[in-house]
Amino acid sequence: MEKLFGIPVSQLTVALVIIFGVVMLAGALTAVRNPVLLRIALRNIPRRRGQSALIVLGLMLATLLFSASFATGDTLSHSMRVVALDQIGQVDVMVQADAREATGRRAYFDQSYFDQVREQLAIDREVEGVAPLLSEVAPVASAGGRSVPQVSILGFAGEWMSGFDRLEDQQGNTLLLDVLGVQQVYISSDLATELDVQTHDVVSLFLGADPAVVSVAGIYERGANPAGKLSVAMPLSAMQSLTGTQETINRIIITHRGDAIAGAAHSGVTLSRLEPLLGGTGLEAVAVKQNALDRADESGSSFASMFLMFGQFSVAAGILLIFLIFVMLAAARKPELGIARAVGTERGQVVQMFAFEGAVYALIASALGAFLGMGVGMGMVRIIAVAFGQTDLELSFAFRWQSLVMAYALGVVLTFAVVLVSSWFVSRLNIVRAIRDIPEPRIQRTSRKSLVLLVLLPVVGALMAVNGFQSAQLSLFMLGTSLVIIGAALLARRLGVQERAAFTLAGLGLLAWWLIPASFWLTYLPDMEQGIEMFFISGIVLVIGAVWVVIHNSDWLLKAVLRVLGPVRGLVPVLRIAVAYPMQNRFRTGMTLAMFSLVVFTLVVMAFILTGVAAVFGDTEALSGGFHIRGQTGYSNPVADIRTALHGQDDPRIDDFAAIGTINGSSMQVKQEGSGRDPVNLFIQGIDEGYSDSVNYGFHFRAEPYQTDRQVWQTLQSNPGTVVVSGTMVPAKANYAFGGGVPALMLEGLWWEDEALPEMHILVRDARTGNETRLRVIGVLEQTAVFSGQGLTTSQSTVNALAGMELPPQAFMFRLVDGADVAGTAAALEARFLENGLRTHIMADDIREFTGTSMMLNNLLQGFMGLGLVVGIAALGVVAARSVVERRQQIGTLRALGFEQGMVRTAFLLESSFIALVGIATGIALGMGLSVQIIDTMRDMFPGLSYAVPWTNIIAVTLIAYGASLLTTYLPARQASNVYPAEALRYE
Amino acid sequence: MNGGSIIEAQELFKTYHTGKVEVDALRGVDLCVRRGEMVAVMGPSGCGKTTLLNVLSGIDDITGGRVIIDGASLHTMTDKQRTRYRARKMGFVFQAYNLLPVLNAVENVELPLLMAHVKADQARKMAEGALAMVGLAGEEQKRPAEMSGGQQQRVTIARALVNEPAIVWADEPTGNLDSETSKEVMDLLCRLNKEKAQTFVLVTHDLAVGRRADRILRMADGQIVEELPMQAWSGPGVAALT
Repeated sequence: MEKLFGIPVSQLTVALVIIFGVVMLAGALTAVRNPVLLRIALRNIPRRRGQSALIVLGLMLATLLFSASFATGDTLSHSMRVVALDQIGQVDVMVQADAREATGRRAYFDQSYFDQVREQLAIDREVEGVAPLLSEVAPVASAGGRSVPQVSILGFAGEWMSGFDRLEDQQGNTLLLDVLGVQQVYISSDLATELDVQTHDVVSLFLGADPAVVSVAGIYERGANPAGKLSVAMPLSAMQSLTGTQETINRIIITHRGDAIAGAAHSGVTLSRLEPLLGGTGLEAVAVKQNALDRADESGSSFASMFLMFGQFSVAAGILLIFLIFVMLAAARKPELGIARAVGTERGQVVQMFAFEGAVYALIASALGAFLGMGVGMGMVRIIAVAFGQTDLELSFAFRWQSLVMAYALGVVLTFAVVLVSSWFVSRLNIVRAIRDIPEPRIQRTSRKSLVLLVLLPVVGALMAVNGFQSAQLSLFMLGTSLVIIGAALLARRLGVQERAAFTLAGLGLLAWWLIPASFWLTYLPDMEQGIEMFFISGIVLVIGAVWVVIHNSDWLLKAVLRVLGPVRGLVPVLRIAVAYPMQNRFRTGMTLAMFSLVVFTLVVMAFILTGVAAVFGDTEALSGGFHIRGQTGYSNPVADIRTALHGQDDPRIDDFAAIGTINGSSMQVKQEGSGRDPVNLFIQGIDEGYSDSVNYGFHFRAEPYQTDRQVWQTLQSNPGTVVVSGTMVPAKANYAFGGGVPALMLEGLWWEDEALPEMHILVRDARTGNETRLRVIGVLEQTAVFSGQGLTTSQSTVNALAGMELPPQAFMFRLVDGADVAGTAAALEARFLENGLRTHIMADDIREFTGTSMMLNNLLQGFMGLGLVVGIAALGVVAARSVVERRQQIGTLRALGFEQGMVRTAFLLESSFIALVGIATGIALGMGLSVQIIDTMRDMFPGLSYAVPWTNIIAVTLIAYGASLLTTYLPARQASNVYPAEALRYE
Repeated sequence: MNGGSIIEAQELFKTYHTGKVEVDALRGVDLCVRRGEMVAVMGPSGCGKTTLLNVLSGIDDITGGRVIIDGASLHTMTDKQRTRYRARKMGFVFQAYNLLPVLNAVENVELPLLMAHVKADQARKMAEGALAMVGLAGEEQKRPAEMSGGQQQRVTIARALVNEPAIVWADEPTGNLDSETSKEVMDLLCRLNKEKAQTFVLVTHDLAVGRRADRILRMADGQIVEELPMQAWSGPGVAALT
């Protein structure tokens, strides 16, 4: 992983290490000046070992999430690098034709260019080798009747291969190309397995219309680069004679000194050396290895960013926990602090004392979190590996030391920052009240400075809201208005309004404001744009609102609980105690509630979205466009007319097919008319009438005057000046997509949420022929048309006119008659068109694999977000442990009055249950509420998306969260029940 | 056991272990309290007054000896049996009031009733009655933090008496109160003792409180060293009581 959120990891690491260093240095200098404060802080840590352990557990969670995210990113980067290097080997730079032929194949060029490139690079001592290469993709069949439709066939010039990979067999012996006789080849072990052939067997290579029969002289494990796992290697001259391309090649490969990865670093120099030579020749030099490494890193970074992004709620909950822990620590030491202040300790020194202690916790917790995060990352990688099981990507766990350092430094800095704020917060105490351990009055007079801050908050909110409105950013607008509501409540309390009224009204206001149906915004503020950030902001604000309402109206809740459970014999006194304490300690209850609610909320919303999307993507008929099999041919020997070829055949019979659509296409320069942007290279696919008449993909937009989707498809045939575009090319105001690439061409002047498609044209130019055309956009496909091509679709006649020739079809879509054997037909098609290299895919399998993989990744993401529950559970543990200490005397009184040990234990467990269950219920309610809005918004993108309550997920989250809470609080509850009344009552 | 006695203790020993140090808090105490009697236990700090009260009420274990309460052997009961027995038969008044801060006055008072499975509405009525009895009618909804020390102690007394226990244990009931309020609280306790015929055992430093009892037991070094009946209050031994 080289980048995170677009910032180079190396820079991030350096920046974080510098911040970390500055923080530590400042801490060390302060400690030297006040060693006694450091000593007090350090001695406080082992005073309550259990509590310290819980604190460390709570503090380490944020770092754990960072570390796990980085580990996932590093593993993916590493694994993709391994795959890339496996396929590219020592090849660093490749020279090839900069354009493809009309058939899609890279053009051949004269072998003399190889000599020129070699001479040009001769002075560069870093260039270790330059070699010519002829590379094709073609079907290969064995004498036994087994075949593989698409195999890389490579012609190497043995004399120039020094510095490149050597072909090696399983025993590590080098297979020399020079010793091969006429019509002898080496094949890869994977291909040998697929074809079930051994050395000396013969295979047929379908490089042209007639197969070439060659003998297998050896089987190699590695070394035929650049190629996939299925490959054939032979001398260049033999390949040239098989393809009838004497003295021409289609690649020049270049390798640099150093190992497989280090060599890529010199690519820039090589490219600049070759630039003057290749200019105007139609050839280009490509840094293939560096590009592959970059792609690998980009994927890794994208994964890490995604996990970090969705881990934000857990990190937010973690911050609340750190704050809560320090406030409770201060509460526990209140009399000591009061005495310390009484004998002359300044407030700043109290802050320092807590900050020292917090720093030690942060250093230990972050180290633990960083290492444990690697373990969690390893577990996540295992799950991802299962998700990727169907692909060639084999995941192997990897973690870079920079990531470890970054996770650690980030964890320490974040934790310390929260500790510092918490320390400042808790240092505000009344000395007399602190010494006597009397609770602070609920409403305290605030200073003029804080009054200014209270006024400033709604003002800043209002400014943000205005700015958001003007820039059409819904998130900014909503955040601003929410700050106005929050600020107004705080100000109202300051001005004497009853706390309950102020916060209940504000809480309800926030809930109502954020749960307004999506249709409201679309109707009254149609220009507002929103993205994934809305999810995060809404979560935080909704939880604030809900917690305010719950906490300030807890008496009603208490009455309800007592009414429901009151009739249970013997439970009333226990219940009364269990509910009264959390309702009395509003701050810590509110914080714990917020932590639970926040995490449960995110899990519920995610579950809603995933359940809805899963239902949409489970509709195979809609996603496949009504086709059952997709076939692709190689370009070396395409099928000219598949219908004619199928006529008169027994297997498959033409009658097995209800419809056959063919697709050709070519890469062309594309630009939206009227747009100021430069043209981009885009693949334009041409469809035939068979496709137009049978495809079932629907349109999100249809131009006037088309009434039905079929009319649009058929117009592509009847009117050559028309085109339809993929839904991914239209921007959406409500865009919840995260990560992934942006299409090369995004249309301007049209939003996904618009009512109608305006008059819109695309200018297309074929760079090879110079032919140009202007195409009217007559339809925008639905997002669910996933196999319709992710670009422009027009008629084959339009594409052929641009290409200046009749382009052969490259893909075929087959719809079978009812009751036909899909798998059997797919296999029969491959066998029938073996020499054409036809490779078939069963659409239902592809869709299942696609949805299965993405669902597993989504579940993993949910699991990762669920780690945040640990925060809430740890908070309950900390609160319960603290309560045992705080209420020791009260427990003694209860025991004296007749509370049995079991009743005390039950009261503590019920208390934790009450907080956990109210938190979980609040999270579920908020999640269900916001999901209505999100599903409503997303339905525009995915028609058919429905509001289905994910009961399984909700029940699982509730049981796991509640069960873990009970387990965590059991120990403190048992301690409480074991409090010996006589001893407890002695604490007076 | 004497037919009129409700509390009988024989050869009570209690030893505390604090690290390597052993402290003999009670060293062979013999005691008998009659039903309806008000007894004050007095003595200097650390003499074992509170420990005696704790072991007699079953809050604490004894190291040796016997405790018979209303005919039941407390020392042979399990913790659970003792707890249930306390809930049925005993009430407590503490120096620091020991009200639950999260409950209001009436909720604090009704707690023993709810533990005895009295129906909620009936418990509420009884608690309100108990509060009225101690002069706190109209203050039911106040939380302890909103009440004066005297008021809090009255709530404690109401809580101790609401389920009409046979014995009320009071550990320094006026220890946190000024003299005026102390007198009021003692007047209340004495009145209730007379009206309800309940047995009161008080632990106190305060001679003025002790004087209100029927009998004073003087403790020193974990033993009852002297028993002074009410008529002996003017004698010279009084000085040694505190």
